[in-house]
Amino acid sequence: MTSPRNRIAWLMPCILLVFVLPSTADAHSVTGSVGGFLTGFKHPLTGLDHIVAMLAVGLWGAFLGGRAMWTLPVVFPVVMAFGGAMGVLGIPLPGVEIGIALSGIVLGAVVALAAKPPLWVAAVIVGIFAIFHGHAHGTELPEAANAMTFAIGFVVSTGLLHLSGIAFGLLVRWPWGRIAVRAGGVAISLVGFAFLFKFL
Amino acid sequence: MSRIFRHPHRVGPLLILLVSLVLQSNAHAHLTVEGAGEVGSGALHPLMTPVHVLILLGLGLMLGQRVPLDLKTPLQVLAPASAIALLATTTGKIGGVYPPILIGIAMGIAILVALELKIRAVVCRLICGVAAIGIGLDSGLETGTAVVVLKTLAGTWISMNIVTYYTAICASHAVGKPWAKTGIRVIGSWIIAISLLVLAFSLRK
Repeated sequence: MTSPRNRIAWLMPCILLVFVLPSTADAHSVTGSVGGFLTGFKHPLTGLDHIVAMLAVGLWGAFLGGRAMWTLPVVFPVVMAFGGAMGVLGIPLPGVEIGIALSGIVLGAVVALAAKPPLWVAAVIVGIFAIFHGHAHGTELPEAANAMTFAIGFVVSTGLLHLSGIAFGLLVRWPWGRIAVRAGGVAISLVGFAFLFKFL
Repeated sequence: MSRIFRHPHRVGPLLILLVSLVLQSNAHAHLTVEGAGEVGSGALHPLMTPVHVLILLGLGLMLGQRVPLDLKTPLQVLAPASAIALLATTTGKIGGVYPPILIGIAMGIAILVALELKIRAVVCRLICGVAAIGIGLDSGLETGTAVVVLKTLAGTWISMNIVTYYTAICASHAVGKPWAKTGIRVIGSWIIAISLLVLAFSLRK
């Protein structure tokens, strides 16, 4: 294995290069591809209801362990993009906001209760909620955004939220971590209830 | 170079570089990069066109998932097909590829990556050919002397092939590492999601 010092030595030039590249110098006018990426990247981060649901997906995947750890985070973005496409094309979907609030409640509850259904059941539950989240994002997409870079930013941001959930969920290896993860599920569920009853 | 491949964690900086290139604001299909020279401009072209990056990334990951790693088979198709497609653009009769077709190619390859399907060599060749022709035909230069055009296209050709093989070699290190294999499949699913959204955008317009 390479020492952490060597890793930093490898990373630093690349990180510096990112800052040197001209596209990042558009400090006062974030437009075009970069604007599209940043707009897309920030989009899933603008609503607490979305954030907790994304975290819950990763959390549940890690909690279930094995294949579920990658199946749920793979299913979610694909189905969410399908819902997003419906939203972009103007195909109506009833009860989107209720569906999003329910996603927080249900996904939080399954983590809190340490529920371990068969993988396909978990994938179906996650997939159903992903459609609501995707549709909400799709209908809110700005007309002027660069489609490709917006989509890249949007999907990467969503994926990173899942990874954050998985990272938190990996704490289940320890007894205290298991309690922390289940408490996280309770918190997510409460946020879902707050959105359902319009407290937030 | 081989040292990089022996240490998969060194792929991280390369991914940062790749993402930084995707984020370029001047990602226009036929724009030359000032100061980079003709070959350099051509080489940067596939890296500055997001849909090309997605296709090449997906293609590289798909080839890297195959066990044992076999780069000879795709080389037999990718290199000549991309060369022919790039040269075909010099006739002036081809003005780019309809974007949804390229997005469809990216999505198709990404589905294979996400599902980690074991594909036959003949199918692999076919996919490489379609991807090479798609990107090649979409990389034409509109203006310039014959020498400038040929130098630029040569740069594009080199870049297309190197990016694909480099990604394939990096991805091949995931064999035997469940977390790394999972990561590759997740990237595949991200490319599917991106392609779906972009397709919807293009249909809306």
